[in-house]
Amino acid sequence: MSRSESTPSVDVQPASADVADVQATGAKPAAAWGRRGLLATAAAAAAAVAAACSSSETSSGGSSTAAAPSAATGDLAVAKLAAGLEVLAVGTYRAALDAATANKLGPVPPAVATFVQTAMAHHQVHLDAWNMVLDGAGQPKVTEPDAKLKPTVDAAFAKVTDVTGAANLALLLEQIAAQTYSKAIPTLQSKDAIMLAAQIQIIDQQHQSILLYALGMYPVPEVFQSTAKAAS
Amino acid sequence: MSIDDRTMKDLIAESQDLHVDAMRDIKETLPELAQIREERRGQEVDADEINRFNAGRRQVLKGMGYGAGGLAARGLVVGGFGGMFAGILSTPAYADTALDIQILQTASSLETLASATYATALTLPFIKNGSATVVKFAQTTMAQHDEHNKAFQAQTTALGGKPQTMPNAKFAAVVEQAAPGLKAPADVVTLASSLEKVATDTYLTNLTMLEDMKSKVIMSSVMGVEAQHLATLRAVGALLAGGAPELIKIPIGADLAKLPAAAGSVAFPDALEQTDPMLLAPADSGVVK
Repeated sequence: MSRSESTPSVDVQPASADVADVQATGAKPAAAWGRRGLLATAAAAAAAVAAACSSSETSSGGSSTAAAPSAATGDLAVAKLAAGLEVLAVGTYRAALDAATANKLGPVPPAVATFVQTAMAHHQVHLDAWNMVLDGAGQPKVTEPDAKLKPTVDAAFAKVTDVTGAANLALLLEQIAAQTYSKAIPTLQSKDAIMLAAQIQIIDQQHQSILLYALGMYPVPEVFQSTAKAAS
Repeated sequence: MSIDDRTMKDLIAESQDLHVDAMRDIKETLPELAQIREERRGQEVDADEINRFNAGRRQVLKGMGYGAGGLAARGLVVGGFGGMFAGILSTPAYADTALDIQILQTASSLETLASATYATALTLPFIKNGSATVVKFAQTTMAQHDEHNKAFQAQTTALGGKPQTMPNAKFAAVVEQAAPGLKAPADVVTLASSLEKVATDTYLTNLTMLEDMKSKVIMSSVMGVEAQHLATLRAVGALLAGGAPELIKIPIGADLAKLPAAAGSVAFPDALEQTDPMLLAPADSGVVK
């Protein structure tokens, strides 16, 4: 193929790094891509969505002089739901990282440590993107986790005692997020919102594959992606 | 290469159960699709639809550099692959076929090509006599692509179109060109990764152009699965390139600790999926003519 997917190599050295090492090196995964680049990408996507959503909301009626933002509806309601899920994901990965650093999860394989940092950075970008959408449309940014799911996740996290438990919880969160996006996409009106949701859906699906592999499961378990676990 | 065959079979069985559930969901949509077909029968594509497609194509052309300051302007796309794509993109949308049908036909053409490529790969000595995990993955992925194809074909029919049964001509030529260079598992993984990237990102792009609700449901669902194929292949490719084929096994078990740190990030190089204009199939590139 004249142009093909580049195949990166991994350095297969004896695996000895632990979570603290990874943290000490300065958030290696996120730094490798360039946080600035990630945010720039998210900002560009979010600006386009915000413009489209804002236009859509305005054209559907209502005064533009209202002091308080009206309730988020349509695409903006999806943005709000998505942001709440992303806050939950970032918070859970951070809690897992803290627990691992405090040696509460036992030995943490280097690949798992990298995954947690990488996934957390990704979800932060996703959160930032949705919050830019909301902010751009005059809606408040979301800073609290999804209220419906948080109690369940908190209860599940309280039972986590090792890496396997943490990975299973992460898998559940990634499934909920990816399935929420997949379910929402056909209902979204703005093309930019569809694009942003689909761009995130892809990454969350890919997070699952690596988690499944780490947990000893087949990395592509479904022929068609389910939406049974989608949040609403 | 070690593999726990029994566990793998259980996992495959579980996957097939999920498949049955998913196919039931897809089949449930078909009566509604047939209704849409009746509503649309004899309906010609409208001007807005054509404009929608052409606007999308112009955006791709701009991204490729057929606007000021792009790749072409910088001399990076000069004939060859780039020229081929420019030719495809310059072709106007077929005015006698609804855009949604064109997109579905193109999706089928990509699925057909993917299935055929995995089938061919499974005949290569270094694949069929190599890693059992890689063989199982190729077989399972091929079957999944076949099911995706059936779903896209059924949907095409439901919307009143003719199902596409041929591989995507443009990327088939690319696969044919790559075939003589397939000398080792890593070569096959690279080619398969590219095809999965083409499928994932073509569906991503086309989701924004589809109008039919059920078509969006199916395309989003399939896109999520192709994305996982791509992630898995990236991880496998990196382990092969890193000289650690023994770590390609399911279940990984205690060897999880031996995976290099980069294995936790190599499957997703971007926080938001980024499309590459060179690895996108134009929406009308698989149209039944």
